[in-house]
Amino acid sequence: MYPHISHQDDQPILDVRNISARYNGRFALEDVTFHLHVGERIAVVGPNGAGKSTLFKVVAGVMQPSNGDVNVYGSTPRGHVCIAYIPQRSQVDWTFPVSVADVVMMGRIAQLGLLGWPKKRDWDLVHETLKIVDLDNLSKRQISQLSGGQQQRMFIARALAQEAELMLMDEPLSGLDSPSQEGILTLLDELKRQNVTVMVATHDLEQAAEYFDRIMLLNHRLIAFGLPDDVLQTDKLVQAYGGRLRSVDGDKVLTVDDCCDEGDDHGHTH
Amino acid sequence: MIAAMKGMTMATLINFFLEPLQYPFMLRGLTAAVLVGIVCAVVGTYVVLRGMAFFGDALAHTILPGVALGYLVSGGGTDSLFWWALGTAVIAAFGIGAISKNSQIKEDTAIGVIFAGMFALGIALISTVRSYAVDLSHFLFGDVLGVSTGSLWLILIFGGLVLLTIAAFYKEFLTLSFDPILAVTLRLPVGLLNNLLLTLIAVTIAVSLQTVGVALMVAMLVTPAATASLLTHRLPVMMGLAALFASLSGVIGLYLSYYLSIASGAAIVLTATAFFTIVFLIKRLRN
Amino acid sequence: MARYRASGCQRAIKKYKFDYKSHAQIERGFLHWDTISAMFRKLFPFLLLLISACTPPVTDSLEAASTSTEKPIVLASTTFLADIAQNVAGERLQVESLLPFGADAHSYQPIPQDVAKVADSALLIVNGAEYEHFLEPVLENAGGERTVVEASAGLNVRKDAGTEHGVDPHLWLDPNNVILYVKNIHDGFVTLDPEGEQVYTSNTESYSIQLQELDTWIREQVDSIPAEHRLLVTNHDSLGYFAERYGFTVIGTVVEGTSSNAAPSAQQMAALIDQIKASGAPAVFLDAAESPNLANQIASDAGVKVITNLYFGSLTDGPPAGTYIDMMKHNVTQIVEALK
Repeated sequence: MYPHISHQDDQPILDVRNISARYNGRFALEDVTFHLHVGERIAVVGPNGAGKSTLFKVVAGVMQPSNGDVNVYGSTPRGHVCIAYIPQRSQVDWTFPVSVADVVMMGRIAQLGLLGWPKKRDWDLVHETLKIVDLDNLSKRQISQLSGGQQQRMFIARALAQEAELMLMDEPLSGLDSPSQEGILTLLDELKRQNVTVMVATHDLEQAAEYFDRIMLLNHRLIAFGLPDDVLQTDKLVQAYGGRLRSVDGDKVLTVDDCCDEGDDHGHTH
Repeated sequence: MIAAMKGMTMATLINFFLEPLQYPFMLRGLTAAVLVGIVCAVVGTYVVLRGMAFFGDALAHTILPGVALGYLVSGGGTDSLFWWALGTAVIAAFGIGAISKNSQIKEDTAIGVIFAGMFALGIALISTVRSYAVDLSHFLFGDVLGVSTGSLWLILIFGGLVLLTIAAFYKEFLTLSFDPILAVTLRLPVGLLNNLLLTLIAVTIAVSLQTVGVALMVAMLVTPAATASLLTHRLPVMMGLAALFASLSGVIGLYLSYYLSIASGAAIVLTATAFFTIVFLIKRLRN
Repeated sequence: MARYRASGCQRAIKKYKFDYKSHAQIERGFLHWDTISAMFRKLFPFLLLLISACTPPVTDSLEAASTSTEKPIVLASTTFLADIAQNVAGERLQVESLLPFGADAHSYQPIPQDVAKVADSALLIVNGAEYEHFLEPVLENAGGERTVVEASAGLNVRKDAGTEHGVDPHLWLDPNNVILYVKNIHDGFVTLDPEGEQVYTSNTESYSIQLQELDTWIREQVDSIPAEHRLLVTNHDSLGYFAERYGFTVIGTVVEGTSSNAAPSAQQMAALIDQIKASGAPAVFLDAAESPNLANQIASDAGVKVITNLYFGSLTDGPPAGTYIDMMKHNVTQIVEALK
């Protein structure tokens, strides 16, 4: 039940070929192909409903693609327990009666085994990860008592406790104030030091350019994937964002209107 | 003089508590109420956290046709009815689980349709006996005064199995309930665990049937756990408090039933609800 | 004129039903929807004629029942009443029971067919003394007119201990009361069918002798029980008249009162257990139709046995209680065995 497939080190950590995926009957992803190397920090950028969450779920082995292959260290995701999916904060039940430490300990289940109980070693590891994310003094708090940034850091601690080598973060920076965002981005440095490969879904193009090795432009199809300077070109951005781009002050600043999904009825115009 | 009066009230008080206990049927009823309360409370904690109260109520009603069939076939001995209830409950749990997933219909609606249809089937089956009023009321409202020693053993064994299973798979159920996606990424057997939880709820209902009856079952699952959820943020403490409230409700309810001559199942549920109301109001006033 | 139309209508309906089914079966080997609808299409005008000729159906069929050459339909509320009445009727009338075997009149839920049966009946025999609560809605819905014979009319009734205004209906468990039952039934039959008066009278006399013999036999049996053991505990207060007549004391009942419908409170159960222990009653007696669950616990806590194969409110289909007299003999035998 708790697989620990060996990692083939000559393979890229993540190799995605021609995957398509359906969600609610529509194509969320169409023919996406890319690969990642160990330790890379990737920003996944695209409008709402572009398929970012779906991509993460397929990579994590939570969802099956209708076509194509996903390989993590040479084998399918379902053989690995080293992939962490960090959910959007809005999808979590914060009233659940668990503490920060409880949530982080959940990440250790694969290592604990079926009828195993956490040992001292596991609790020590949990506290270490909480120290890394700077939540050590809040370990006994119930999770609804955390701020947005603290909630995000807790999930990162959980992924660390999971001993994850590939972390997929679904919009961790949205809704956080600048200092909190800084805190998360600093953590990403720590993760890089530990050779963790990270994919982060974000809307902030500036942050993407500044903090990430490569940027993936996604709108159901892979529009572009590469270094920030190559990817953040007007024509490519227009392809990704469609009519939601607005240029301010000539070509110097671009803002993205990411309020709504394509095809939604809404009361205002863009 | 005052000492004598104190002595007298002490004696009456002690007598008040001891009098029902000299009857074996009351002792059996109290034991059944406490055991059933504990099992329902622990399983009910998950029911409350996962928002499955309606499912629990529906499952309790859905077993009526199976029990009715057993009643028609075997003539109504309550021990044999336990097995019929158990079998039907497990099948019904999987059935509702399966049907409510294949939906063009919302899960809520699917559950409602199945529940009402099966309950009506049960009443129809029982009504073929044509003098069914008394026995139907036992199914619906419980018959805790009629618990036999054999029934107590069944409650102990199966209730114990349920509690053991919850303890053994504690962290798996916890993860599954809090973050199902995490459970999948950690490659837990999510389908199996879900079915296991459904089975545990089904067994709990079968075990509790004679004590509280179909109509009030959902109260035993939900109310003590709901009360506990107001008082703690920690899951193990919540389960413990729920079990405590449930046991107290069982005992106090039966004493009330004895001295006020009211139906025992209803007395237990009213006591549990009173606990909830008191805790709720205290919290309100504190804020 | 009306009566001919009515009986022609009835006969015609019967014929129509028979034809359509066999026709459909020949055509396809099983009933198929378009066969059925095809039949309806062909026969619709004929149906229309029949329906207009048959309304209103209820009164016409009643007239038909009472004036046709078939025997009038006589109903009794329960199986034991039907048997008693049949003994009076002999060959001249057929008495049917409304309740099936094993049903409990206290908790009986009537079905639409019961209303139809009552509507078609010319004479209805009831126990009376508020036994047949379930009949009230049935009689209302059946409408029409029929003779109702209250078998217990003229007898002194006991009060029901459980309710303030109620009475104890279980008069038939004392055969001496049944002797008056048959007199009332005899009078009812004579009103319905005056030509048969002689037959009814002689049947009544011979059956009354049987009832007296039954009474004597019961006394002998009861004498064999030691006096201090003539104690009865039942599910509800059904043996009140029986106890009075034959010298038993009713120690208590699981359910208070003369109806099986209530449930005892914990204190009532406790009190009964104490009473059983204090009196030395050897057994708890239950009707076969009653739920034994509470009685089992009470008996087990009091250390006495439970007898569950008695028949107080219904006969059985065949032995051991196929007739009223057999029912009484069976019950007394069981009671005497348990108390000796």
